[in-house]
Amino acid sequence: MNEIKKTYKNYVGGKYVRSESGKTFRIELKNQFYEVPLTSRKDVRDAVVAAKKGYTEWQKLTPYNKTQVLYRLSEMVEGNSETYQQILQESGLTKSKANQDIKNAIDSLIWYAGMADKWEQMTGNLNPVAGDYFNISHQESLGVVFTLNTEENSFNQLLLSILPSLTTGCSVISFSGDNSILALKLAEDINNSDLPSGALNILSGNFSQIIDDVSNHVEINAMAIYKDLTSSDKKIIRENASKSLKRIVIKPPTSGLESLLPFIETKTVWHPKGR
Amino acid sequence: MKTWDYAESIESSAIVNIEKKYGIFLDGEFQTANSKKFLKTISPSTEEVLSSITVGNKNDIDSAVDSAKNGLKIWSKLTGTERAKYLFKLARLIQERSREFAVLESLDGGKPIKESRDFDLPQVAANFFYFAGWADKLDISWNTKGLKPYGIVGQIIPWNFPLLMLSWKVAPALATGNVVILKPAESTPLTALLFAELCQEVGLPPGVFNLVTGDGTTGAALVQHPDISKIAFTGSTAVGKYIQNETAGRDIGLTLELGGKAANIVYNDAAIDQAVEGVVNGIFFNQGHVCCAGSRLVLQEDIHDEFVSKLEKRMQSLRVGNPLDKNTDIGAINSKEQLDKISFLVNEGVSEGGTIFQTECELPANGFWFRPTLFTNAQPSYKIAREEIFGPVLTTLTFRTPEEAIDIANNTEYGLSAGIWTEKGSKILWTADRLQAGVIWANTFNKFDPSSPFGGYKESGFGREGGRHGLLSYLKVQS
Repeated sequence: MNEIKKTYKNYVGGKYVRSESGKTFRIELKNQFYEVPLTSRKDVRDAVVAAKKGYTEWQKLTPYNKTQVLYRLSEMVEGNSETYQQILQESGLTKSKANQDIKNAIDSLIWYAGMADKWEQMTGNLNPVAGDYFNISHQESLGVVFTLNTEENSFNQLLLSILPSLTTGCSVISFSGDNSILALKLAEDINNSDLPSGALNILSGNFSQIIDDVSNHVEINAMAIYKDLTSSDKKIIRENASKSLKRIVIKPPTSGLESLLPFIETKTVWHPKGR
Repeated sequence: MKTWDYAESIESSAIVNIEKKYGIFLDGEFQTANSKKFLKTISPSTEEVLSSITVGNKNDIDSAVDSAKNGLKIWSKLTGTERAKYLFKLARLIQERSREFAVLESLDGGKPIKESRDFDLPQVAANFFYFAGWADKLDISWNTKGLKPYGIVGQIIPWNFPLLMLSWKVAPALATGNVVILKPAESTPLTALLFAELCQEVGLPPGVFNLVTGDGTTGAALVQHPDISKIAFTGSTAVGKYIQNETAGRDIGLTLELGGKAANIVYNDAAIDQAVEGVVNGIFFNQGHVCCAGSRLVLQEDIHDEFVSKLEKRMQSLRVGNPLDKNTDIGAINSKEQLDKISFLVNEGVSEGGTIFQTECELPANGFWFRPTLFTNAQPSYKIAREEIFGPVLTTLTFRTPEEAIDIANNTEYGLSAGIWTEKGSKILWTADRLQAGVIWANTFNKFDPSSPFGGYKESGFGREGGRHGLLSYLKVQS
């Protein structure tokens, strides 16, 4: 008889919360059962409220500050790497594969930490307009982003579904399914980090139960789907999104500058030159 | 003070040659369509019938896709530099025939010749020149690997800047290695048909540029075609939502340039006379048929009376009339349908309690016309303060503090453009940072350039046109 190892909670607005429905589902790893929240419509709405607040706070930090916050998170993850290693191994990864995955995850954190104060230099530019005007295009983050994690048992993939949007200054609602233990565990490091409350929220559950609630929610500005979805699920998402012209990105890139591009808006400002 | 009136100065329309009937342009030549349905395109300033154009049907779109597939085979084998040469040649040819295009644009669409000649056409040529030069520099355009063209791109453009919107769409799409099926607006197809002739003249490979004229049904058939891998649309937010919904089941690229309700914020420390000029240009340019028009004047309370009095005086000097008269500032409303919409919303504004000012001027007996209109005493909840009117109608709202100005400006589903008028640099930057809009004009308005990205936040759509950023609308990241 396996023992129930732990009951995890969602992480929303800087707090560990049960699903308001009280519902959980069971994830069975090699030797343990875990009870994790089955996110409901109401939980999604609460997460959006938290993420909106978190967006404002995360935005207030300078790019330099954002870099330091993300770097600090990498230090904490590294400090807890044994815990992640254990979950990955319980999920079926060999010791060396689990080890490699965590190394990759830390490298991803370091890469994006260093990107927070640089990406805008690569995406923005002065425009050489024909006339006496100063004209510059720079970028702003989209706002509240819902990201759907892959189904892989990979800590690195989880982070790669979060970091691109978070690095641009978006606040993130990260959703995981049967592999959600990793994400719920990460919540502990997020909680101990300097990320403002609500900047990064972690939900677990069955995506098909909340697909309409998320894609219809007008205060979610973008959805990034890293998981492989069926054609009919993609259709539902895009149809719902069209009501408010929500930005939808399916299988976005997970490396390089291009991984950040789906999460930014270009703002172009003109001013005349004169004496 | 006694003033002399302007003498008429009419641009001759003898320069243009309009066919009685037009087919569609596929495989590098004009063809008779499968559809036997035609619609009449009229001059909105006289209601005179100019020509009959084909209303392309589903079969015609199928043929256009076949043509485009053949075009893509040729186009994708050319080097960037070879593609650039075709676009440079097109740019040169547009310059050479720009007077002809300008007259045709004013005839078919009703815009003043002053604007079609001095704004639209120079910008059209500039767009082809600008994007021509990108065709062989795509690999160094962004710090990303593996940018690839989509293939066949469907493009649907509006009637407010017919040829300019064609150039915004076609030039970057071809430069990035895509081929195009273009559906121009039903009320303004003539300059696109003339552009097709230019494509023949420069020897653009058959099937690279395809043109199917028609109405909403033609556009729907284009949007629904499964072999089109990218749709670019400029038009209303309602149709933009329809397109996002209609294409939901397909993994395609989508860029939407939609409506706007731009706030033009005037602070009390602005250069008032310049701001008046800018506000007038912001809303009355092209009869207000501009998605980024500064249709909400957001005015600091303590300068309201002075500003409005100067504004009304300036508005009164606007000359409304024959688009081909070089003195005309405001031409004809593009269609009866659009005139009805403007009239309806203005009547709503009056019945909701707004104070209306309209200039006194004689309007021609035929054609579609609307007097330059200003609303004061309006509330943010009024329809005229919320809905896109797309006509020469300006609605005034007032504020006390900069924070309040930002709240008013952002209190809309739209986010295309905005204006800021103040002599204080730090206030410009503070305001610009807080406005949710894709294009912000500070101490100027309605300025455009091929190198300057254009496009909206929120329900004004997604994607950018123009500049280095405009390339990304036609390139996908190959993972």
